[in-house]
Order: sequence, then structure tokens, then C-alpha cells
Amino acid sequence: MKILTPAALEIFLTSLGRDFDLRVPVITPEGARVLGQPGDGEIALAGGALLAKPTTVFFPQEGEVFTAGSENQPPAASAARQLVVGFTPRDLLCLRFIDRFFADGLRDDLYFRMRAGAVIAAVSGFTGIDGCFVPVSGGECDLEFVFDGAAWLVVPYSQAGRSIAALISSAAPADALAVVTKKTAEFINKDAAIILAASELLLQDLVPDSFWEEIAASCILCTGCNLVCPTCTCFGMQDWRFSDRTERSRMWDSCQLDGFMREAGGHNPLGTEALRTRRRIHHKLAADRTKWGEISCFLCGRCDAACPTGIGIVAVAAKLVERFGT
Amino acid sequence: MKRTFTVCPYCGTGCMFQLLSEGGRLVGVEPVKNHPVSRGGLCVKGWNAFAFVGHPDRLTVPLVRKRGELVPAAWDEAIEKVVTGIKGVQEKHGRDSLMFASSAKATNEENFLLMKLARRVFGTNNIDHCARLCHSSTVVGLAQTFGSGAMTNSIDCIEKTELIFVIGSNTTEQHPLIGTRIMNAVRNGAELIVADNRTIRLARHANLHLRHKNGSDVALLLAMAQVIIAEGLLNREFIDSRTEGFAEFAQSAREWTPEHAAAVTGLSPEEIAAAARMYACSKSAMIFYSMGITQHTHGVDNVRCIAALALLTGNVGREGTGVNPLRGQNNVQGGCDMGALPDLYSGYQKVADPAVREKFAKAWGGTLPDSPGLPLTLAMNAAHNGTIKALFVMGENPLISDPDQNHAREALQSLDLLVVQDIFLTETAQMADVVLPAACYAEKDGTFTNTERRIQLLQKAVEPPGEARADWEIICELAAAAGFAGMQYENSAEIMEEIAALTPIYAGVRHDRLTPAGLQWPCSEQVHAGTPILHREKFTRGLGRFVPVIYRPSAETPDDNYPLVLTTGRTYFHWHTGSMTRRTHLLDREERRAFVEMNPLDASFYGIKNGQRVVVASRRGEVSVFAKITESASPGVLFMPFHFVEGAANALTSNELDPESHIPEFKVAAVRIRTAS
Repeated sequence: MKILTPAALEIFLTSLGRDFDLRVPVITPEGARVLGQPGDGEIALAGGALLAKPTTVFFPQEGEVFTAGSENQPPAASAARQLVVGFTPRDLLCLRFIDRFFADGLRDDLYFRMRAGAVIAAVSGFTGIDGCFVPVSGGECDLEFVFDGAAWLVVPYSQAGRSIAALISSAAPADALAVVTKKTAEFINKDAAIILAASELLLQDLVPDSFWEEIAASCILCTGCNLVCPTCTCFGMQDWRFSDRTERSRMWDSCQLDGFMREAGGHNPLGTEALRTRRRIHHKLAADRTKWGEISCFLCGRCDAACPTGIGIVAVAAKLVERFGT
Repeated sequence: MKRTFTVCPYCGTGCMFQLLSEGGRLVGVEPVKNHPVSRGGLCVKGWNAFAFVGHPDRLTVPLVRKRGELVPAAWDEAIEKVVTGIKGVQEKHGRDSLMFASSAKATNEENFLLMKLARRVFGTNNIDHCARLCHSSTVVGLAQTFGSGAMTNSIDCIEKTELIFVIGSNTTEQHPLIGTRIMNAVRNGAELIVADNRTIRLARHANLHLRHKNGSDVALLLAMAQVIIAEGLLNREFIDSRTEGFAEFAQSAREWTPEHAAAVTGLSPEEIAAAARMYACSKSAMIFYSMGITQHTHGVDNVRCIAALALLTGNVGREGTGVNPLRGQNNVQGGCDMGALPDLYSGYQKVADPAVREKFAKAWGGTLPDSPGLPLTLAMNAAHNGTIKALFVMGENPLISDPDQNHAREALQSLDLLVVQDIFLTETAQMADVVLPAACYAEKDGTFTNTERRIQLLQKAVEPPGEARADWEIICELAAAAGFAGMQYENSAEIMEEIAALTPIYAGVRHDRLTPAGLQWPCSEQVHAGTPILHREKFTRGLGRFVPVIYRPSAETPDDNYPLVLTTGRTYFHWHTGSMTRRTHLLDREERRAFVEMNPLDASFYGIKNGQRVVVASRRGEVSVFAKITESASPGVLFMPFHFVEGAANALTSNELDPESHIPEFKVAAVRIRTAS
């Protein structure tokens, strides 16, 4: 384990940009905190989960699948090895989930072309919004940057992580992690209990249709909840025919759209807003739990932050538990 | 991965986001948490705003008509053809046989330059833009009553008001992020009145939903005023100190008792009185309206009534109050601000004022035409009757967006010269003699002004396709080819400096002052922080003015032959004539077919099933579309969006105009319906 001052961290991360295709949280000149590159703005690891999901790097909103009529080659992966800094520990759980999803059955080679070989670095400690505490992951990534309130501890978990940490000369004191580890052990995320309780209610089918109609009345179908969700993986395909070639690309889709499941004949098994709203929550909290053995909302907070009308998953789950829980 | 912080190209809300690009190709959009309008959210069009930019249908080279066909041409040839064509028409038919249609989708800088090109280079005030079709009634009505035809307050005020009155605006669909603010305010305790014939989403959240008959707004609003006056709910101090003309207005409202208005509006007297009391008894109340108010032959009267309600109750000039017209397109406010209007220079300075003309003439050299030009709608009529012979269209598609499509088509066919500058070969461009390929919003710099008068910076993310160029660059080349040396700029920031020098309300605006959240005009000097709320101490015109209003029914009402009312508008997933959204995969997939909404009672009466193909006919034409049967439509009223060329709502609408604003009556036409054979 190594240690860096905040000033040294910025220099160190910037230096990694020479060997890696580096993505790191930065504050742009306009004041937005995003997953960018060192030149895009001041590096800002602290600040909590990024508004956009970091898995965008492996699975962009729109990405080329292939171009027919030219070389017929699939798009190349980045030449330099990718290093993606900025996953919160909860984002790591999301990454694990979609890694498993994309590997299961028909392996998604477009995803893994980008994902394979990428070095994943988490950010935790006193790095939440306004310095609030983010529990330490303790693994599930190559290395972790943990802020103990004064300095950054660099904790490697894999060979790739150890190679990066080896570039830092100052070793951290042996007990440096103790404070944050203890705080992590004591940390209780009250939203986890809400999500679990809501999941139980859904599995027991205790939520009436009228509830979903009420939630749907507040939904403007922006699709933002899906598009910011790190465990949403649905995509659509489009072909663009140019005079000399045809480009096939895929782009994120949304189960909140009528066209998402509408059949060619016009029938739609998810033909009302209420059904689609129900599906969004039910899929994460009940269907995925049944299929994959875990709830696929890992409380990253993005849909609650991006929803313009306050019906992100935690908000809906809380209402659901308040209304129908015992 | 490159990130570009820029402005959404769709509605007038003015959300900003980051465009993501990889290797010169747009790959996505990311919302921005710290932007004061969008606050980390976007609507579905915003989330998909990147997706049409690289479409294979983009225009990449100029096109010139030869032997009846549009064929690729060099820029020099196309520019030469436009300039000689215009000059030829003007020599033969006079300076004012030429009309310019500017664009609410183009930047402020581009609107300013097209205005300059028309007035200074080609010597005509015949310039207008699609504000004529959306908010010209506001510009006339609010200029007369308040002195400024813009939203009086800011979007942030929604959180500070006790009551919101939405009339003629489907806010969650047309200004979605403003709609969500309204929904959130209601959840936090604000009261909501929605006056709309359709059960729009906001109606589901309203304390009171008034489904008044289409075209009966004046009756409803005058009756609300009558109740406020009769029951003494008015703000006497405000009326005495800040307004004029109260007595005459009160006289015009006197006969409009709730009972009288009930007979015209189809509402109950109690509903009308309740709305009046709710509005007047709130400590602060905001009115929001849009095209449901403006697009009538009595659109200006509607606006006057709305202004009067605010004046009666003192709901102007404070936080959480105001008269708030929601401007439709991303830069329709800016198009008006920049003087892309036949009677006004930038900053609403009158063409008829010799001092104004002298100021612009001094800055630009030469002389400027002195009589106001033609509004767009009258220019189309003039083209139809042969007095307008050349039309230059920048970023508009009048063949689909103008009323009475047959009339519009004949007008365009009558021209000696039609030039269209656009990003796609629109239906109008297909009729052109010359087509100039333009850069889209993601491919150029400039500014857009949103509905709350916020001037924001548009930044280039990717290169335009092929030989396409930014509109401002094309306009400058046209000026140079016409022999005018005074339109040479290094970049769009330089154009803004000229705008600022000539436009008092933009005097303090510079591109380098606009990051990250822009400036709200009036912004009078470079240290001025902008103006979130207008008319605080006094109205722009001095005193707020009550203007008496006389109710007039719509120009065309149902009869035995055409027994149904047709009202037109937009849907959430598409934008105007669909040139961008119908080339956006997810939006196009969501809504692929032209449709007509009708009430189940009407469907039952005419034997029409949901999804069935039907023919809707008016005195002007007929179209075949699919039936969408929904309780959202009132019995006797059909709703059609105008996005679809294959089921063009404007083949049915009438070209009857408001006598003052010259806006067409898109919201009321008489039609009939039958199943398609």
C-alpha cells in the first residue's frame, strides 16, 4: 500500500496518462464533474458517484458494430491499455453484474473488446458529496484510491494494480487503512434495507396496479433512468446506408419506451405507461433477483439524481415500502 | 473521447449538455448537474440529440437545379446563382419582391446576419421567421401591455410560487424540463390550474382542469377577470400605481359573467369562478402559456386577456409571478431579439423610427429601407398572388409547417427563385432552385437564447459533413458575392460584438461571459449580471396597460358538412417537420405513423377502431392517417400533430390570420372524418 498527498495524486494520475488510455473524474471548465481525461479539467476523484455511469467507456450510448462495404473490420479497441479511475465501490458491483450478464450465454464480443484488459480503479473513503464517507470496496477492482481525510492511500489488489502502485515511492504506514476500514465495517446504508423490503413486496406480488399508474403519471418518458443505470444493458440497432457503405451501430435503449417491446403487428405486452414503469422497478428488484441471485440495483444513486420528477428507484422503493410494507 | 458543453437544439427550455464524440463522430449525450435549467436531467429528445447529426441524408454539397433536376454544384457556382438570381428578380420586380425566412433553429449571430443581409445588402425589410407561426401574438400582445414580448420571469420562479396557471401549453411534452418543474412544485404544495381541452399529463396533477372549448379562451379569461373585479379580489394598489386603462378593460369584461362564459366555453360557471378565485387569492401566481393561446385569429386578444389577469392581481415584477409565454424552438426568442422581423431591428428597435435607422445605417454604411416589410404569412400570400418572386429560406420547412399546404405549395411554385439553406433535403428544399448545405447545431459556434431570455453558448463538437458550412459563413459569402464588404468576421464571437454594439438589451453580452450558465437579457453593460425578472419597478413601457378585448369566435367553426374541430400541435417524440427526429432511431421507432387522436364516443359514432386508417378532410384538403382513440381528446375534437409529411395536418388547417399578429389559426379548423376505403 502506498500513500500520496492530494497534490501528488494529481501529478501521479496525470503521469499515468502517458502509458494508459486514462479515464478519470475531472471538473470541466464549466464546472461539471465527469469521467474525462487529464486535459479535460482538474482531476477530482472526490465528489461521489459520477452522474454518468463509468461503464460508458466499455459500452457507449452509441457505438459502431461494423461497416459493410469498406474493410469489413469491426471497430478496433483502444491502442493503449485503458485505465478507468472513478468507480465507486457500488459501481464495482454494477460492473461485476454486467460483466457476468455480457459473458453469459452468447458472449458480447463488442463489450469485451473494450472491457478486456482494462484496469479498473475505485475511489472511496471521505470522497462522497461534501466529503461524506464512501465505504471501501476491499477488492473487485485492480486498485483503489482511498482518501482518509488527509492523504490518498493507494491499495492494489491485482498484478496490474501492483504495477501501478509500484510507481509510487512513499509507502503508507501499516495501519493507515485501519480508520477507514473500521468506518466501513460500521457503515449502514439505510437505502439497502428499503430496496430489499421493496424487492420482497414485489416478489410477493403485493403491489397493486394503481400504484404503478400513480408513478407513471409523473414520468415524462425521458428514459434517463435507464440511460444512467450501470446495470441497464438493453440496446437497439440501426443501419445507416451511405452511398459507399452501410454502417451498423448500436445504441442504448429504454424499456420506458412503447417501441421497446411493441411487436410488428402493433401488439405490445408492455403497452401502457404503468406497465412499463412497473417493469423498470420489477426487473431490477424481482426478476433479476430470481434469475441472477441478486438485486440488480446496487444503490449507485444515478437514476434518483437524473430523474427530473423524483421517481428514481430508491424514491419509488421508499414509497412502495411506506405504502404496502408492514 | 471529446466532450463539448453546448445547448440542446430542440425546444426553448434551453437545457445544456455535453456532446460526446470519438474520432470526429458523436457517440452520446451526457446531462450536466450544475446547469441551472437542466440540473442533471434531460428529456428524451435531449438524450437523443446527437443521433441525427451523422445521418447519411445530411446535405454535403450545394445543389443547383439544372434541366429540372437538383444536381451537385461547386460553392462558387451556387453562391453566384443565388446572388444573380436575387438581383435579377429585384431588377425586374422591385426590391421588395424578395423575402427572407430566417430560422429559430439558427443562432443569434446567424439571425442577426440574415437580417443585415436583407436590409443592408438587398435593401428590403422583408424578413421574418417562424415566430410568426408560434408567438407573434405574444410579441404584439405583450409589447402593447407590458412593453416587452418575452417571458417576464425565470424558470426558477416555479419553485417560489403558490399557484401555476397553465393554459394552452402541453408543458411536459413541449417544454419537458419546465413541465417537470411544475410537477415538482405541485408535489411541494403549489396549486395548479390547467386549462386545456385535452387531458394532457399536467392535467392529471391539477387541482382544477378546465376543458374549455377550442377557441373560447377570450370568454374564459374575460370571465375570470370579471369574477376578480366583481368580487373585489383585485390588487387595487398595484392597479392604481403601476397600470393604466383599467376602467375601459373592466367595461369590456363586465358582460362576461361566469354564466355567460359558460355558454361559450362549455365549462360550468362554478369552474370559471373557482379558477378566478384560486388565481387571484394566491400571494403569488404564474401564468404559463404557449401555442394554445397564440395560434388563433384572436391570438393577440388572448394574450391581452392573460396580461390583464396578471395586472389585475399584481402578479408581475416579483418572484414567483408573471406572464410566461413558453417559446417553442431553441432560439425563437433569439430570432425575435435579433430583429429577424419585418418591422424591428435587433432588440425590438423599430424600423419606422428614423433615429434607429440612422444608427444602423451609420454602423453598416449606406442607406436602409424605411417602411416595414411583410410578415411571413402575408409574404406567402404575396408569393401566391405573384408579388413576391424570390424567397430565401434558412432552416425552415414551410411546405410542412405553414397552414393550408396546397396554398403553401402553390405559393412556392409561383416563385421565380427559391433558395433553401438547410441540413437535410426537406420537402421545401426539394422544390428549391438552389440548396445550400448547412452545418447543424453540433458543428458550429454561436449563441441561442432560451425562453427565459437566457443567452447561452453553443460550441462546436464535430466538423460539418462534406462541404457543408455554418449558416453565418454562408450568409457572409452571399454578402461578399453581392459586393458588400462589411460582413467579414473571423468567428461568431465577433458577430456578437457587433450585436452588442447595436442592441441595448444585449449590450453587455460577449461570448466569453456566457460560460457556464449564460446571461438573461436585458444585459446593458459588460459588468451587468443579467435580469431574471422583468418589470420589477416599472414596466418596460412605463405603466402596464389594460387593453379592452371583444370576444370573437374562431374563423371556421363546425357545421353540418364539417362537424368536428381539428386542433393541431406537436408530440413529445417529434420535432416540427420531423427532419431531425424522424432520422433519430429511437424517436422514429417510438412514433412512426401520422395519426389523429379522437374520443371513444366519436370513434363509436363513426365506426372507427383504434389503429384503423382514416381520412380526415377539411375545405382545403384531405389526408389519410391512423386513428388513435383516447379519452385525452374531447368529444367533437380531433388532434393531429404536424410532423408527418405523409399525413400532413397542415393540408387541413386554414390560412385565416390574426389581424394584428398575422398568425394562422392552427388551433381550430372544421373537419370531417371517415374510415379509409
